[in-house]
Amino acid sequence: MISRVDDPKRAGLRGAAPLTNALLLACFVTAVLATPGVTVKLAALALAVGLAAASGQPPTRFLQRLRFVILFATVLFVAQALSIREGSALFTIGIPITIGGVLAGATMALRFLVILTSSLLFVAVTDPDRLAGAITRTGIPYRYAFLLVLALRFAPLFQQEMRTVRDAQRIRGVGPSFTSPRGIVRAIRYTFLPVIVSGLTRVDSITMAMKGRAFGRYRDRTPPSRQPMTAMDGLGFAATALLVALVILSRRFEWP
Amino acid sequence: MIEDLRVRYPGRDKLALCGVRESVARGEVIALTGPSGCGKSTLCRTVAGFVPAVVPASVSGTVHVDGLSVLTEDPARVAERLGLVQQDPEAQICTLNVRQEVAFGPQNLCLPRDEVDRRVDEAIAAVGISHLLGRRTTTLSGGEKQRLAIAAILAMTPSTIVLDEPAANLDPDGAKAVFDTLRRLRDNEDRTIVIVEHRLSPLLPLEPRLVIIDRGVVVDRRTSRHHLDLAELGLRAGWGPIRTTSPARPKPKALVMDRVTFSYDDRPVLDRLSLEVRSGEILGIVGPNGGGKTTLLRLAAGLEHPSFGRVTRTRSRVGFVFQHPHQQLFERTVAAELRIDGVLPEDPVRRVLHDASLVGLADAPPLSLSLGEQRRLTLVSALARRPDLLLLDEPFIGQDRKNVLWILSRLRAAQERGAAILLISHDIPLIATIADRLLFLDAESIEGTTAETLARLAATGREAYTPCYWEGLDDLQSG
Repeated sequence: MISRVDDPKRAGLRGAAPLTNALLLACFVTAVLATPGVTVKLAALALAVGLAAASGQPPTRFLQRLRFVILFATVLFVAQALSIREGSALFTIGIPITIGGVLAGATMALRFLVILTSSLLFVAVTDPDRLAGAITRTGIPYRYAFLLVLALRFAPLFQQEMRTVRDAQRIRGVGPSFTSPRGIVRAIRYTFLPVIVSGLTRVDSITMAMKGRAFGRYRDRTPPSRQPMTAMDGLGFAATALLVALVILSRRFEWP
Repeated sequence: MIEDLRVRYPGRDKLALCGVRESVARGEVIALTGPSGCGKSTLCRTVAGFVPAVVPASVSGTVHVDGLSVLTEDPARVAERLGLVQQDPEAQICTLNVRQEVAFGPQNLCLPRDEVDRRVDEAIAAVGISHLLGRRTTTLSGGEKQRLAIAAILAMTPSTIVLDEPAANLDPDGAKAVFDTLRRLRDNEDRTIVIVEHRLSPLLPLEPRLVIIDRGVVVDRRTSRHHLDLAELGLRAGWGPIRTTSPARPKPKALVMDRVTFSYDDRPVLDRLSLEVRSGEILGIVGPNGGGKTTLLRLAAGLEHPSFGRVTRTRSRVGFVFQHPHQQLFERTVAAELRIDGVLPEDPVRRVLHDASLVGLADAPPLSLSLGEQRRLTLVSALARRPDLLLLDEPFIGQDRKNVLWILSRLRAAQERGAAILLISHDIPLIATIADRLLFLDAESIEGTTAETLARLAATGREAYTPCYWEGLDDLQSG
């Protein structure tokens, strides 16, 4: 009944070196910022979801984690489409919806989606400890590099904490009410106060836990072993090269 | 060596420690004990160099560890001589992977990679968590995290190890493994061990020197296990006989679980579990960490839904005391917390606070209370709603004998009123005295009357799940 299984496989980008993944993330961000149209952004989005699947992140679960990002991107799209009136009108819903508005909305929404999706992919496939080690090797003090590890360590914890606090509210019958300003203030206080206090308490505890294990005692610390290049780094480099090629072709042939 | 140590936290009138003097010889084992809130954790944090360096406080006196004055030193330097295992296992894990976590300290000491690996392997083997290697720390249960925290300190090889209630969150096997580890450390290595613990019986084989602290002062020292009446000292022991009878008349079913199966993502937790709990009945739940005990309570409360099978609650009012009380405290003051759902008027609030040893705290912010006080507050909040189904997840952690007795009296009162109670605890002698039925939740679950379940656990060689192990009783049926 109680057997637990962790996926030990280092599939896809999970097996790549942290700096390979960091380079790929930088390329995703550059690709969406350096191209004006939607073609490259759509290709980049498909590539990110494909890489996630190849790295052991089922597309349905990966997209489920992105649901709030997708919701916000949709809001961005609609707002742009309604407010920008350039080019010929496609149809009218009281106000005209134009080609320019739709393209501007799609561009902004896709830019947002690709940056968030590729960032989530990076977090999902990169071992933070190895990343901190790789950053340290570039000359950045390990005290700063380790902040990244801590951020990644506590992100799921706070998500879990929020869920438990909401459960506690349900049990006590003091669930959030958004029907009045007072209800909204109370909902915010009841939800965030326990989480913030818990966070502040954890800051003290984690400081003690780190100092209590000699963090910061010496200028250097033993770095994790270097991760040798594997075929998975080849996957990362191929994806990077594809993105660079798309950007060049897009600018050369002025893709929409 | 501690000389005239005084500690006062900002905004507090009373001293947390007032004039503590103690000398500990190398290789000595000290059991530090006393009532909840008496200053044990403050003393641990101060000797580890965290007060006032990390936790602000005004401090006077001196504390030396192996010749190093810790009150003026960077705690990272003190860590080479003294390691502290904190009470809350969740809050002391710094990385995302079990091996990385144990390696974190040795890596900070800038040791060669081979030496780091050697220490990691030894420490992991010492606390019996080799099977967890490679796991993500976020997927571990509370008990697994606590053992990991101990391994992480052992890998630092300090000359002194201070453990602040290290077994409080552990299942009986895990707690036994920790005490066995401490015994090995005492026998094979010349380390000084200071352990804060309410349950002293399992520590007695270590032949500790007992230091009892109350209201910030060392009030007693004992060097012999003879003539040691733990209950008389206000410690957690001597709860009385194992409960052998169930309520006389069968009462209506309050909760029925029929072949309930549940998984978190792809991780199976419960597999076709069936049970019934009747009104006025207390079902004790014991079992290994990560065995699904908390999930069982969440299913009973309707916070989770089974992937297969059915959960039926015939009563509607549910009270749930979580394992981590801060997650269910929302208001600005303790009194407001008790009135949050409009159940209690002014006078009963004061009476309830008095009963729960929370007198004088009506206007204090709930989250400023100690963990033990927070737990009692969440319990009285839950009881104020007069629940038909009361779910309690480790309510005894951090409670001294007096407060445990108060909790037991409240549970018996709720039981007599007809509430069905599901109670998780790792304190086997304690749960054996109050539970009508006992569920051992593991791959092979065992359920029956408390005496039956304990007898079956004893027969299958699970000695840590028997009161005999914890209280030295001669016979399961003895009082």
